[in-house]
Amino acid sequence: MNQPVAIGRVVATEMKPSTPHQFHFWTARESPVGIGAIVRVDAPGRTVIGIVTDGFAYSDLLTPIHDVIGADGDPALAGSAPTERAEIRLYTAAVLRQIPEEPLQPVPLGAVHMADDADVVSGLRMDAFMSGEKTTGIPAGVYAAGGLESPIYLDADFLLGPEAAHLNITGVSGLATKTSAVEFLLSSIFQTFPAHKGSVAAICFNVKGPDLCFLDQSADLGDEDRRLYARLGLHAEPFADVRYYAPYKGDGVNLNTLRTNEALASNTVPLVWGLREVLDYAEVLLNKDDVDAKAGGFIDFLKERVIGRPFQDATLSDEPLEVKSFADLEDFFRRIFEFMEVQSKTSEVWRNHHLATIRKVRNRLGNISVRAKGLVTDDGQASDLPWGKVADRSVHVVDVAGLEPVVQDLVFARIVSKLREHLERRDLGVDHVVVFVDELNKYAPTDGPETYVRRMLLDLSERGRYLGLVLFSAQQFRSQVLRRVVGNAGTALFGRMDMDEISSPGYATLSPATKAKLAALPKGELMVRHPHFTQPIFVRFPKPPVLRGRDGMERFPAAVDLAFDDAVARQLVQLDRGIRPNQVKDLIADRTEEDVRRALAAVRQKRPEDVLAFFRKALGGRVAPDAPRERRAVPPLNPISDEPY
Amino acid sequence: MTTRNWTRLRRAVAARGFTPATWIPAASEGRAEEATIRLAHLLEDLPIAGHPVGPPEAWPEAVGFLDGTQRYEVMAYAGASPVVVAEIAAAVLERRDRHLHVAQVLRRRLVIARPEVLEQLEDAIVGHEAVALPEGGPVHPVLDFQLARREVDSARGRLEVETGNRFRAASDAWLIVDGSLAESPQWALDGRMLGVSKSHATLPFSGTQLEEYLRLPAGSRSPVFQPAGREVAPVYSWALRLWPWEGKDLMHGLIRVEAAATVETLAQADQVSRWLLAERAPVSTPDPRWDRLLYGIRAVEEFLRASGER
Repeated sequence: MNQPVAIGRVVATEMKPSTPHQFHFWTARESPVGIGAIVRVDAPGRTVIGIVTDGFAYSDLLTPIHDVIGADGDPALAGSAPTERAEIRLYTAAVLRQIPEEPLQPVPLGAVHMADDADVVSGLRMDAFMSGEKTTGIPAGVYAAGGLESPIYLDADFLLGPEAAHLNITGVSGLATKTSAVEFLLSSIFQTFPAHKGSVAAICFNVKGPDLCFLDQSADLGDEDRRLYARLGLHAEPFADVRYYAPYKGDGVNLNTLRTNEALASNTVPLVWGLREVLDYAEVLLNKDDVDAKAGGFIDFLKERVIGRPFQDATLSDEPLEVKSFADLEDFFRRIFEFMEVQSKTSEVWRNHHLATIRKVRNRLGNISVRAKGLVTDDGQASDLPWGKVADRSVHVVDVAGLEPVVQDLVFARIVSKLREHLERRDLGVDHVVVFVDELNKYAPTDGPETYVRRMLLDLSERGRYLGLVLFSAQQFRSQVLRRVVGNAGTALFGRMDMDEISSPGYATLSPATKAKLAALPKGELMVRHPHFTQPIFVRFPKPPVLRGRDGMERFPAAVDLAFDDAVARQLVQLDRGIRPNQVKDLIADRTEEDVRRALAAVRQKRPEDVLAFFRKALGGRVAPDAPRERRAVPPLNPISDEPY
Repeated sequence: MTTRNWTRLRRAVAARGFTPATWIPAASEGRAEEATIRLAHLLEDLPIAGHPVGPPEAWPEAVGFLDGTQRYEVMAYAGASPVVVAEIAAAVLERRDRHLHVAQVLRRRLVIARPEVLEQLEDAIVGHEAVALPEGGPVHPVLDFQLARREVDSARGRLEVETGNRFRAASDAWLIVDGSLAESPQWALDGRMLGVSKSHATLPFSGTQLEEYLRLPAGSRSPVFQPAGREVAPVYSWALRLWPWEGKDLMHGLIRVEAAATVETLAQADQVSRWLLAERAPVSTPDPRWDRLLYGIRAVEEFLRASGER
């Protein structure tokens, strides 16, 4: 067997000694060693695997003035000396692992070799989870150096819990690295998540543009990407089970998303919530000035005693009232005010709640359906995520890109809260859910008000792993995200970084060379921190197997907004291909848009066999307007004169 | 077991009843030379005061640099007689494509003492060459040490010759030797060998001629002359000023070149001088002899020092 050729030699001086965690070695001028390269030191009785963190080069030139003298002061001559000066390539490496691990000693002087596959596995301690019967490795990319290309795996126990969990990715915007990395990693998780760890699904929030709008469409991959997939043992296939959720626009019939191409309509459904869905999260939309203690007490009263259950109060109605929608709630408030004005003029208190408080709550709650128009409906017919029926390896993309920030917060808060509730009860349908949130610095900023969403993200990052609720988050500036949120991410990825960001204190542990490499990292390369890796390492990953947002928009351009009747017809035709659009248009002619929306929502919720018949019934019969009654003139009781004026 | 480390060697010698000692004489790495004037015979009709050789020119082909090093110290005393241990080494670094590569390297380890002492040390100095001091006289520690040093100088010279010969057997490239070609008659006949001497302990002229010789301007050379006292290995020689000396020392930047005593040498003295002028860069700092020390020669010394062992 050929002995591997040494590429360097450990050197240790009093000024630059070897320590148990760091060593220095020199190489020939031409060597495959670079920043991030993994190397192995062989010494009698000890093998050390390290990663190069810094590099130095210098010659035997004592001072620059001697170079000037040697070149007679002419820079052009400086490069033409007959002999090149002796020059050193000196590298600093951080220890990844020492074998044996005890006693932990300074790195010995010895020959340095480029790491091979086995060294990479050992150095990154991947043998802890890649050997045995129940392996938990998730391919994350390849480590490439010196002609070697070794797959790098993340431990599922530390990526999706329960040991550690969560992933955070930082990188400058515009390179698509963050989104691509998450898409690739999700694909890798779906393909390799070990069966003994149960099922997994993903819920992604599309917060900008068409980034995540084409996860079910194949990407155009090159040979190099396909080779990388093969090297990692993965298939380059788009996600098989993807469902898109988008609220309506203000018109209530056109979806507020860029994924409106008719070819993609089959798995794009509206996201519509009613009173019951949003009341628990009213805190997201209402600030402390809106909801003081009195108002909060009345909202609690509504939640516990009124909404969603029969409410018996003879002062308001002989029959039990059922408040299921914002429209019902408005009717409920109207009855209270009528009672207070007509029957109880002596008091301004109804059931211990002051009239002013009730008016305030009515105004604030009523305003929700206006502020979140398109998402929140007045009529109570909701269209929601499949709570309790989330399928294994399914992806659910909630498109909130077109919503106001505060409404995005509402969507985010409710969905994560529902996930948590179901995972606590173990009735979500899957054991693990990955929640992907981009622009984390917007939702959990270091500075800024203490919001519901911020608190919830913190709770998710600190306790989610016990439930199987895993946060995959991304942002441009990690330093601007609440430290406890990113700090709880067991795995951190770093794409190309802004120099200002790298110079912030959070990156102080990185060497200047590593920072320089991060600042110029090409697309498709990441620096990875993972609990098993004692040092961050650089990996290369292939393009994700799904269509990029920009390419998707070219292949599937968004449809123009349809007229109201066309939009209604299209939605019904999607539910029943046998329906002719003109039938629908005839049905809704002369009907109010509010009635049509209500009927449409009922159809969506019920999903009847005969869609058109159900829609017709939900619309109800046409009621002819009453002819105005003839009003007779009343003669004055005591005419004063004939003067008409 | 081969005793490689001088400390271990010292212990082994002490174990045989000798008194261990550590004395490293000043300038143990260099050879001592005696200052003298030996009048030379001029071979060119040029002014001794200097002849400009023209602008520097890079050596057009591969060239080797040969040098040797020596280190020695007193390791023990047998009674009053010193036991000296030495390491001598010689190497050729060959320059190809502006990079220096090790072409030849030889090392020897010596133990120098009186013959009766060496007999007692025989099994303790395995791996070392035993060199006996001349017998007969009474023990005199200073004289014995001077004799030992001469043995080291001599052994080093032989090792350099051996190294140079090995290089020449493998290559016909130019070879620049640090010092004189007189070490070997074979070298003195080699048309592609040059000796470059930094030392001017032996001067070829006297009086006004010497003054002119030593005041050569930068970039100029003296006429070619034949040094005296080289009957065994006659060579041609000339002085070349690499750097201006004004404001510094009279010898600053002054080297003496030796070449084969042939007509070709006379014909190409200017050309060789231009090549040597180009060797001023890179400057051999931080060596204090940088003004006369060619970078290739310095690289050989650095290599031998760095790769040697005690």
